[in-house]
Amino acid sequence: MQLERNAFSGHDLRKIYVTGETEVHALRGVDFDIKKGESLVLLGPSGSGKSTLLNIVGGLDRPTSGTLHYDEIELTALDDRDLTRFRRANIGFIFQFYNLIPSLTAEENVRLVTDIASNPMDPGEALALVGLADRKHHYPAQLSGGEQQRVAVARAIAKQPSVLLCDEPTGALDSRTGVRVLETLEQANRELGTTLLIITHNAGIAAMADRVFHFLDGRIARIETNTHRISPSEISW
Amino acid sequence: MRALDLKLMRDLWRMRGQALAIAVVLAAASATFILSMGVHRSLYETREAYYSENNFGDVFANMTRAPRSVLDQVSAIEGVQQAQGSIVQYAILDFPNRIEAVRALLQSVDERGRDRINLVSLKTGRMPAPGQPEEVVADEAFALANNVVLGHEFDAIIYGRMQRLKVVGIGLAPNYVNALAPGDIIPDDTRFGVFWMGEEALEAATDRTEAINTLSVKLQRDASQADVIRAIDRILEPYGGTGAFDRDDHPSHVFLDSELDQLEAMVKIFPPVFLLVATFLVYVVLGRMIRTQRSLIGLFKAFGYSDAAIAGHYLKFAIAIAILATILGAIAGVWMARELTELYARYYHFPILRFSFEPSVFFGASALAVASAAVGAVSGVWSAARLTPAVAMSPPPPPVYRAGMVERIGQNAGFSAIGHMIVRHIARWPARSSMTIGGVALSIGLLFSTLQFIDSSEFMLESYFFRSQQQDISVTFTEARNEDVLFELRQMPGVLRVEPVRGLSVEMNHGNRLERTALEAIPPSAKLTARIDQDGNVISMPPGGLMLSRQLADQLKVDPGDSVYVKMLGGRRTEAMLPVGATVDEFIGARAYATNETIEKLARDGAPVGAALLLIDPAERDNILTVLKTMPAVLSIGDRDLEMSRFEEMIDDNINTMLTFYIAFASAIAVGVVYNSARILFSERAHELATLRVLGYHRLEVAVVLIGEIALLVVISVPVGLMIGFWLAQLMLRMFGSDLFRLPFAPANATYGEAAIVVLIAALLTAVIVARRVMRLDMVRVLKARD
Repeated sequence: MQLERNAFSGHDLRKIYVTGETEVHALRGVDFDIKKGESLVLLGPSGSGKSTLLNIVGGLDRPTSGTLHYDEIELTALDDRDLTRFRRANIGFIFQFYNLIPSLTAEENVRLVTDIASNPMDPGEALALVGLADRKHHYPAQLSGGEQQRVAVARAIAKQPSVLLCDEPTGALDSRTGVRVLETLEQANRELGTTLLIITHNAGIAAMADRVFHFLDGRIARIETNTHRISPSEISW
Repeated sequence: MRALDLKLMRDLWRMRGQALAIAVVLAAASATFILSMGVHRSLYETREAYYSENNFGDVFANMTRAPRSVLDQVSAIEGVQQAQGSIVQYAILDFPNRIEAVRALLQSVDERGRDRINLVSLKTGRMPAPGQPEEVVADEAFALANNVVLGHEFDAIIYGRMQRLKVVGIGLAPNYVNALAPGDIIPDDTRFGVFWMGEEALEAATDRTEAINTLSVKLQRDASQADVIRAIDRILEPYGGTGAFDRDDHPSHVFLDSELDQLEAMVKIFPPVFLLVATFLVYVVLGRMIRTQRSLIGLFKAFGYSDAAIAGHYLKFAIAIAILATILGAIAGVWMARELTELYARYYHFPILRFSFEPSVFFGASALAVASAAVGAVSGVWSAARLTPAVAMSPPPPPVYRAGMVERIGQNAGFSAIGHMIVRHIARWPARSSMTIGGVALSIGLLFSTLQFIDSSEFMLESYFFRSQQQDISVTFTEARNEDVLFELRQMPGVLRVEPVRGLSVEMNHGNRLERTALEAIPPSAKLTARIDQDGNVISMPPGGLMLSRQLADQLKVDPGDSVYVKMLGGRRTEAMLPVGATVDEFIGARAYATNETIEKLARDGAPVGAALLLIDPAERDNILTVLKTMPAVLSIGDRDLEMSRFEEMIDDNINTMLTFYIAFASAIAVGVVYNSARILFSERAHELATLRVLGYHRLEVAVVLIGEIALLVVISVPVGLMIGFWLAQLMLRMFGSDLFRLPFAPANATYGEAAIVVLIAALLTAVIVARRVMRLDMVRVLKARD
């Protein structure tokens, strides 16, 4: 039962980037368990290893050593094909710079994901969830930054993923738009039971999570548990 | 080295694949330019030097027999510098162990070395000496082909008499650069050769003491050729003159001219195509490079580099590629030019024919390459120079996409999101997409138009040997005969059918156009020859009128319904206005046909039998050839199978060598265009491709975005390319045809497919090579880098 309740469990994860003759130790042995449906914020200075961990958890990158499990699957043992399958089935990504395809409309950007998902929402429904039902035929260049990020959120949640991974989702947004995006994420976590991992520099956001991982120098320096989660609308920056 | 130049070197190294792909296309331009221009110049200059060194005549005339004293009259014509008379006589050589007949053309030379025109260049040995009637100089090509060496002796039947000949020299002369046996369509050095024999000896051998049957004239610089020709015709009329002619009608000269024209046509077609494509490529690649280096340009300008320095920097990038191309092109061009010159040396007899590398040709090729790269660079360089630092350092505005017409159709057709990405990207960059289509289409067009030369030659072969000429053997007589000779041929065991070929030499006149040609009589019972139209149906002879080969009709600018003025050359010299009843698509030679009745009306007599066509029992073939070989009346024997295989051999030699080059070149275009398009596409879309990977698309699914766009463009370019090829092929056939032959446009259906498939394969392999980068795409790194 214990295993079933854990979405991810990582053991002694290390990541070394070699560029030329220099080695960068991005992760120096990280251990953690993340429960299903948990909401988590990763805090820490630049280069402390947050993004590296997020990428490894999302199957975009592999650790140099250590093991990582998702459910009963050992992610660190999968080849590229199976990692892609894992991402396709379970993970929704949201980035700071949206990463929308400029040649596709809002709806088509969402369809990119629903085309290959096994039990997706209707793209229109996903856009309605983020309040963009009336802008579905607009191209990214015709949308504001906040709207683009909401399309990215709609794209991420449309396939009803079990995990949402967000790398600085509000980094490029003003406070009001940022709150709106966070509310959508929180709603997915609360109503659909989606496990939520958010990287942020904004300590205020930490208060909306169940737990906060504080990163320093490639290690989780401290784990903080919030006894009381606040709603995104109470956050401001 | 200055920092900017260092950057240039590094940029070139980083983009070496793309730079090389452009350089290869530009090199193809340089190579084809050096090849055609260089060989043209070598051939032309060799010919001119040879003509001038050996004093090739300006005007020539043949006659039945004239006293040597006519030379005084001819010399007295205003504008004539020198006149020289000689005897030419066909002879049969007895090479005992050869089944097929070996024929010679004996040309008299002055034993005392007083000749001034058409001088013989000796390769080895000496000229025939006075009082040594057996001595001859053998044509070099014949000697080589038949292992004839100095001192070689053999029997020859000259003018019906057997005579022993001895080779004392081996040489060649400018009036026989190309020597064809009568009735042949391609040279065959093993069966026919020219021999130079002492004048007195040949006079004696042919009962022509103090007489001549051919003359050559050198003109003064300011002479009127036409006036001299008219004057000569008047003088020779009583002696059976068949009409004087200038170099343009000299058989050896005409052959060379048609070759030179073909080389000139090559210069006009191939290099421009490659230059055009290379210009496109430089435009596209440099344009993209400047867009990606936008902020860098801003930085340089902020540092204080002038607009001109930045412009110069990017221009140098294009020029550096052109310089590389020039070197590659020169190496390839010189190598191919040597091959082609060697091929020419096999068909044309020059004292020395070597490809000489002319600096001016090289500089011409380099200038073209540099100019085309520079033209391609202009727009990019201009935009780099114009960027202000502040604008340059801010990111470029995002591309705006719109759903176009194709899209709306696609929407209904249920395009996937990936499908939309492909189609919209093509529509977003219409100029670049069109250039990719245009480039690949040109490559298909070029390949098609070169490949179809094989079909054209085969069609010509098929039409000539299998439809119009159905005899096994053709026999040309030493002089026009009466019917007795046909009877003699019919009596030979194994001869199944004999048909006479009767013809007259005539001059045809329409408007201001004048052509000399043979007018052949076609009896209604003719079975061995046929005049067929393009669909292979026999065209019947128009009663009372002429049938002209298309070539002749074009030269005279006449259509059926027009009339031409026909004048017999020789014989009774009668003249008549005759209607043109039909034209026939013949590809070799320019001829005219008429019924026996029409000819009899014109000549006031039946036309003499100049040749005969034989249908034989294959089992008796060798016996028949052996008998024919010894018949004094027989001048030459055309063996259809042999001619056909010679013809095929020539096609193989000539066309296949060139074809290999052009398949390589056409593929080079496709590879260059597709490689660059795919690389640019990849660099533009790396970010999107990485996003798709992150979203859970497999590598192959992502590669579809890249390969799909290229494939779509390449597929669109197929019909465009075939249309270009269709047009280019006909242009090339027109330019390559000459007075001697016409090349039919008759591409096999398979050729369309082959051209498309070769290019499709080259294009898709290239796209796949680039798509492999998708496989190695580092998602994390690409997403970290802001586009």
